[in-house]
Amino acid sequence: MEEVLLRVEELCLHYRTSRGIVQVVDSVSFEVGRNQALAVIGESGCGKSSLARAILRLLPRNVAVYTGGVFLDGTNVMLLGEERFRQEVRWVKVSLVPQAVMNSLNPVVKVGDQVAEPLVTHNLVKKAEAQERAKQVFRLVGVPLDFLQRYAFELSGGMRQRMAIAMALVADPSLVILDEPTSALDVLTQANILNMLKRIKREFQRSFILISHDVATSSELADSVAVMYAGQIVEVSNAAHFYHEPLHPYSQKLMASVPRLRQDRKPEFIPGQPASLINPAKNCRFAPRCQLRFSECEQEPPFFECGDRGRVKCWRYA
Amino acid sequence: MPPALSRVTKYTLYRAITLFLTVVVGVYLTIVIANMGGHIDKIRIAQIREAVGARLLVDPQVQALPASEIHKRIEQQVNLESQRLGLDKPFMLRSFNYLSDALSLSLGRAEVLTSDSGSRQVRLILVERLPATLLLFATANLLLFFVAIFVGLFLSRRYGSFLDRAVVALAPVSAAPSWFYGIFLILIFAALLKVLPFGGMVSAPPPGPALLYSLSVLKHLILPVSAILIGAIFVTIYSWRTFFLIYSAEDYVEMAKAKGLSSGTIERRYILRPTLPTIITTFSLGIIGIWTGSIILEIVFNWPGVGRLLFQAIGAFDTPVIVGAVVIYAYLLALTVFLLDIAYALVDPRVKVGGEGKP
Repeated sequence: MEEVLLRVEELCLHYRTSRGIVQVVDSVSFEVGRNQALAVIGESGCGKSSLARAILRLLPRNVAVYTGGVFLDGTNVMLLGEERFRQEVRWVKVSLVPQAVMNSLNPVVKVGDQVAEPLVTHNLVKKAEAQERAKQVFRLVGVPLDFLQRYAFELSGGMRQRMAIAMALVADPSLVILDEPTSALDVLTQANILNMLKRIKREFQRSFILISHDVATSSELADSVAVMYAGQIVEVSNAAHFYHEPLHPYSQKLMASVPRLRQDRKPEFIPGQPASLINPAKNCRFAPRCQLRFSECEQEPPFFECGDRGRVKCWRYA
Repeated sequence: MPPALSRVTKYTLYRAITLFLTVVVGVYLTIVIANMGGHIDKIRIAQIREAVGARLLVDPQVQALPASEIHKRIEQQVNLESQRLGLDKPFMLRSFNYLSDALSLSLGRAEVLTSDSGSRQVRLILVERLPATLLLFATANLLLFFVAIFVGLFLSRRYGSFLDRAVVALAPVSAAPSWFYGIFLILIFAALLKVLPFGGMVSAPPPGPALLYSLSVLKHLILPVSAILIGAIFVTIYSWRTFFLIYSAEDYVEMAKAKGLSSGTIERRYILRPTLPTIITTFSLGIIGIWTGSIILEIVFNWPGVGRLLFQAIGAFDTPVIVGAVVIYAYLLALTVFLLDIAYALVDPRVKVGGEGKP
């Protein structure tokens, strides 16, 4: 087993709304090894992005519950004060490629300055060196160097995405969280960016958490896969097995919904609606949509270990 | 000439011309309205007739004349006087003379009002009143602007705190105008506690030494400035706080936080800088507001400013003074808008003058 970089234990993030408490991230636990990529997949609204925010402590104003442990290199960063967390974790150890790249760049600051900014803030290098380093990452993600002097609104969507990735890599963090890095792009650009990410992963030995609703693109990068359903992780599997034989009934349905090359079988859909995250029932959350349910499913299942394949939150593996 | 420069020149010229046309229309409307569309002429001819009649009828030589002769003489004199004042020409024709005079800033002579030094020159009357208004409203507006913007930013970062909720709750205080609070302030601090003066700009007789003089002015400033502040501060803070709250929800602010930037940097580079165009606009429009003063507040505090002058001029149908004040204001407004256009292009890279975005 390779060295563990990030261990998340029983992480909970609940929001307060006028209709009740929304349990977006509910007792989530997983590990990411060094130089490993974990893909977190699931439907829209299952809490994937909130999980990313919970790890980086980017919380909205209506947080009701925020508990659990986030161990980075063995230290529980949940216990750090706000200022220490900012100085020691954000961007230095964990960086983020956000979902809405269109609006994630400051419209009135040159992109080169924005990319170099974290270096100066965290006193990692001198100002002149920061620009040098920005040039390096620009080259790495394949953005022409004269773009350093441009503003965000002068760039195309694909260029902005590359810029966001460059920004995430600039301070040499050990973990990069990619929140739907290719979802807003056309297929050709998606392929370009994924190839670039693969190259970076191979050459620079970095850990990734890839958050995606797109099973196909996640398979390009992932070493292991965590499937999220209704705020909970229902399966954590080895990528080698997962993409062929997923364990959880939800994962199986999810895989069956993906169209494949050279296959006559029509992609299936999952019947029913995603479970509500407001005051969820105390059963297996997928049970109402599950075609394989049986009497045990009225109780919430624990995780069952399935040898070297992974672990799954389903009574069928009891 | 390089294309960028010619584009900028073209745009600048275009803006200057359109703004000037706006000024022309605004000033002309003021002239028509201040003259009540020519109705003021009738009032003035009636005034002339009354004055002529009063003068002639006390003359024993005239009294001896037959009634028709007296009437003829009065008419003669009235016509003479009207001709002298140009009232015999139709108003619409004269309105354009007024317009060209106003636009070339030859503000002419007042009908009724005089400056404190006794001059009838509209320019002198205005120049005499302006410093008082500028002093009062510059102090109050600048204070209001900077306090509101920084407290607003502070509160937007502490949304939902006690202070934040207190300001939101106090915002309706600004529903009443500042002079309303002025009356209460005078009542409390001048009438009851007798610590501050009732009104005016300096005590009478004015103290000789410059230091004592300014101290006296300061003392007279406290109440009117406080009245303006009370009347506007909470709602202004509230609107800035909401404004910053909206811009703090932008994804790039979130991103800046994720990057581990300090909250000072986030406030400066990620909240204030992108919103700079709006801030500059509010600031410059506030600055122009300083020039007009406030009619009621100046009367309540007996402040010798432009607002009170306008009130007197309107009451006395003194159109040259009204038009004079308006034309200066119109020019300042146009100039500010013109400079704002340039300032936008300087502070916001998204704004490129003359259409095409590509440099």
